[in-house]
Amino acid sequence: MDNEKSQKDMKISERRDFFKRTAALGVTALAGTSLAASQQDDPAIMHHVPWGQKWGDPVTKNRYGIPSAYEHNNIRRNTKLLASGNYRASIAVTPIHESEGIITPNGLFFSRCHGGVAHIDPKEYRLMIHGLVKKPIVLTLDQLKRYPKVNRTHFIECPANGGQEWRGPQFNSLQFAKGFMSSAEWTGVYIKTILEDLGLKPEANWMLAEGSDNSEMGRSIPVDKILDDAMLVWGQNGEALRPEQGYPVRLLLPGWEGNLCVKWLKRLEFSKEPWYAKEETSKYTALKPTGKAVQHFYANEVNSTVVSPSPEKPWTDLKDGDIVEIEGLAWSGMGTITGVDLSFDGGKNYVEAKLKGLVLPKSWTRWSYIHKYKKGEVLLLTSRAMDDAGYIQPTVDEETSVMGVESVYHRNGVETWEVTATGEVNHVQIRS
Amino acid sequence: MFKLDRKSVVSAFIVTVATVAVASSVPSKPSIDGGVYYPIVNGKTGPYLVNTQSAGMKINNGRVPTANEIKAWDKDIMPDGTGLPEGSGSVEDGETLYEEQCVMCHGDFGSGGGGYPALSKGNAYELQKTLKNQRDKPDADGPVRVFGTYWPQVSTLWWYIKDAMPHTKSKTLSSDETYALVAYILNINEFEIDGEEVDDEYILNREKFLKIKMPNRDGFEPNIDGPNAREAVRKYYANPANFGAKKVKPSKRCMKNCQKKTAKVVRIQNGGINAFEPPMSVERDLPKKPDYDQGFNVLKNYEDNCMPCHGADGMGAPVTGDKEVWAEVVSKGMSTVYKNGIDGIRGMPAKGGASVSDKEFKMLVDYMIEKSK
Repeated sequence: MDNEKSQKDMKISERRDFFKRTAALGVTALAGTSLAASQQDDPAIMHHVPWGQKWGDPVTKNRYGIPSAYEHNNIRRNTKLLASGNYRASIAVTPIHESEGIITPNGLFFSRCHGGVAHIDPKEYRLMIHGLVKKPIVLTLDQLKRYPKVNRTHFIECPANGGQEWRGPQFNSLQFAKGFMSSAEWTGVYIKTILEDLGLKPEANWMLAEGSDNSEMGRSIPVDKILDDAMLVWGQNGEALRPEQGYPVRLLLPGWEGNLCVKWLKRLEFSKEPWYAKEETSKYTALKPTGKAVQHFYANEVNSTVVSPSPEKPWTDLKDGDIVEIEGLAWSGMGTITGVDLSFDGGKNYVEAKLKGLVLPKSWTRWSYIHKYKKGEVLLLTSRAMDDAGYIQPTVDEETSVMGVESVYHRNGVETWEVTATGEVNHVQIRS
Repeated sequence: MFKLDRKSVVSAFIVTVATVAVASSVPSKPSIDGGVYYPIVNGKTGPYLVNTQSAGMKINNGRVPTANEIKAWDKDIMPDGTGLPEGSGSVEDGETLYEEQCVMCHGDFGSGGGGYPALSKGNAYELQKTLKNQRDKPDADGPVRVFGTYWPQVSTLWWYIKDAMPHTKSKTLSSDETYALVAYILNINEFEIDGEEVDDEYILNREKFLKIKMPNRDGFEPNIDGPNAREAVRKYYANPANFGAKKVKPSKRCMKNCQKKTAKVVRIQNGGINAFEPPMSVERDLPKKPDYDQGFNVLKNYEDNCMPCHGADGMGAPVTGDKEVWAEVVSKGMSTVYKNGIDGIRGMPAKGGASVSDKEFKMLVDYMIEKSK
């Protein structure tokens, strides 16, 4: 809850109330009675609220529910910096600063496409699986959904999350600094289950996943992942995938780069050699200072951020001595979060934060630390996560010493929020 | 310790579900991505329960596609030429096509613009050397990453143009047109094929295409080609130093005095990037009215909002219809008139207290001026 905002609301309602009260006093004066109004009384309590005295909407309204009109600012946003292709080869990012728990509402799930969001007629949907399999098949959507299902909670992250900030912080915003990711419970089938029918030939090393969208987005994936936890998913948080997420079917490679999780999926082909599709060479390769670029950069490494406070939702309303929860997200495409450390001095000294709620593999994990706020204190809040694969977030210096500043992708160095003496929050980095 | 656990878990897994045909292909080695492998053991993978009853059963959904159906969809082009059709196209034809269908996004001579990628920045062989450039100082030049300087395979270009270009009407170019466009892009990147310059007269065909060697062919790691590729990838990601990651035993991680003396706070420079659409806000209020309501009734809004003060003498406001006064108002310039009204001036509250958009407010001002001519 943003107290500054609520105080503002209060002022508005007080102002509104001034007129009402003036009118009411006029009436009571005439009636010869009086009700002693105290300055401490909250008008939101003392008066009937408009929605309490009239019929609400019938249950027949909004056959597919929509958020409260008051939540209209909790939306995906975009920036011209990332506006390629008239927003058809572009991204709209998730308002992480408003996120709760480890699930992103489907309408807020970040949206990245390479040729615009395709709208597929499910009746004309076909999935073809061929190449180095004993039996190639084509499936309708209904046939695909007949396979035994699995439900898994995983984040999907664009490997360019934070990728604008290799040379220094650029976005004074959590939404833009870390919002190239979202999380959902996915429903689908393990590809390995389907391959039991088809019989993967032993010489198969790679699988091409290809979308049916305007860009025919394609990526080569090693069969190791296909035989591990790769899924074909059609369900997202209990309903069909949204068009922005590849309706009716996308590939899900838990923990791996979002672009590998090909949307509007049309074709899977197995082969001995990889394809060198456009998005696995021209993009999504990380150039190092050696002049060599990392290609087939799969898993998003362990990462974390403080979510509350954030530049969008600062601490300007806190009073001296307030008990406040510093809350954040941690995630790893390589495993399960095992711990998060929090620093108040930009990474010089750390304390252990507490993990909260479900702690799942390759999933967002909530963590927090209870803090007693001292008015006027200046803090540098830095979080640092670890996973069960043994990884820990590097410092900004440690990461750039290997990757330089031109690699764009897979930046997972620790992130720092500066809390100023007035409670404003700024995105900064600590560098030597 | 971690490796030991996994070995025992994986071997248990293979014993229990040996009937699953694909299980034997699951590597009993570290994951290819350097992460944790969570096998399905005793009906569980990690924290998730799994119904393994279908293991070893044939479900046989779907049907076998026809040869024509596979041919219709299997349009990818591989580096060895698999899938690449016969055909040819000239640089000259490519340039004509480019001017007709590509230049509006990719710019003159592939120079880029409008948020679309550049296709060339000049001689690819020279510019490939910029890939070691780092913009780690304010005036440093960055690496040039365009098709000619960066991409490892030319097959990617042919395939992508044929499948995904032009962006607004993809899959409309013939194979010959694709060869022509590829020839033109090679030309503006100053390529040579088999020792021959791709000049303005050059005609590209399949045979010549397969001889193209990209300047940055060896610019990528790990190796992904050949029968040992997956092992090479696995080995690469087993070493965090290769990709900027960090491993440490939890008990050994630094908790106190972890920073160098030189550590300093780096702030956002020059305001950073804040041109967000829509603008950032965390207000919980009702959405503002749209910029312009199609059904906006100027007369009614004038009567409701403006007329109380502007409708008659004595309120101190310029009276609608008073040509002299309004001429003086307008003489300040319309932008000033609008601004004064929107912000409020003297006795007039902002927008006269009306809850209308800026655009609607201007319509009301225009109405009063029109009535005062």
